[in-house]
Amino acid sequence: MRRLAADADFRAGFAEMVPACIGLVPFGLVCGVGAAAAGASPLAALGLSAIVFSGAAQILAVQLLAAGAPLAVIVMTCFVAGLRFVIYSAAMAPYLRPLSPRFQRGVAFLLTDQAFAASVRRLSAGGNPRAAGLHFLGGGFALWSMWQVTNMAGYFAGNVIPAAWSLDFAVPLCFIALVAPHLRTAPTIGAALVAGYAVIALSALPMKLNLIVAGTIGIVSGTLADFARERWTRR
Amino acid sequence: MDATLKLWAVIAIVGVLNYASRLSFIAIFARRRVPALLERAFRYVPAAMLTALVVPMVAFVPDVAGSVDAPRILAAAIAAVVAFYTRSTLRTIVAGMAALWLLQWALGRIG
Repeated sequence: MRRLAADADFRAGFAEMVPACIGLVPFGLVCGVGAAAAGASPLAALGLSAIVFSGAAQILAVQLLAAGAPLAVIVMTCFVAGLRFVIYSAAMAPYLRPLSPRFQRGVAFLLTDQAFAASVRRLSAGGNPRAAGLHFLGGGFALWSMWQVTNMAGYFAGNVIPAAWSLDFAVPLCFIALVAPHLRTAPTIGAALVAGYAVIALSALPMKLNLIVAGTIGIVSGTLADFARERWTRR
Repeated sequence: MDATLKLWAVIAIVGVLNYASRLSFIAIFARRRVPALLERAFRYVPAAMLTALVVPMVAFVPDVAGSVDAPRILAAAIAAVVAFYTRSTLRTIVAGMAALWLLQWALGRIG
């Protein structure tokens, strides 16, 4: 750990993640409040945020627990909500191949929406995979640490931010900051538009399945548009 | 089942399942070649998945099912333009929050 903290790429990844960490404070507080409302002990609340480490899954888990849902339903719902990690895992895999299994397991543990979005451009740009991996670990560690602090703050202090401030809006803004710079080619814009439309059109699906289904439809659309563009330019 | 035990069971099982999801293809592709078609599809993962994630957060007011919030949608559009040109998370958050507050104030929601 001390050796990691001294690494320049790790430190750069950590520093670059700080703005996103600030944006996610309201989300962490909400998750902590939810754990307290569901009657979790402080240790269990910390276990939830430290081990599950996914805001969406944590919110679903405490809501379903409070509603008295069966264990199998809670587990299944949280698993489905986490299926997008499978897609992130696949998208990052080609760049992580040169790294050791231990390194890969560390990356996997810290894989979240923010960490993925923030690092995928750097990873795909090529360069030293180890440096990009350390950069990812730095950012992931920043997010993980901030997540424990804000979850605990929410658990003990409650939601200290007045709802009228609409600070929950900082959470989508974090994602917009990460996704908008990607939208520079026609197939990428198409993928985003299709996914954005599909997630609303399919919002009646149970267990938030609309997210993973819409994401997949968007990815397929982007890929098809990519092939179409290739044929067009070759002519 | 005892509530404490049930919560710890959720933590353990969901923890393992989410970790398995996160590790899945990183581990699988560590030993196999990634098919060219998939590698092409992976380029569209950030745009598609993150848009699918963000649109419901923006389009619907939290806790009010089915109601659309115009200031949030407009503020998100402004933030997207700022993000596109600056590539800065901090500037995007500042611009988006400022736009939202201004629009809410203009619509007489505050004060």
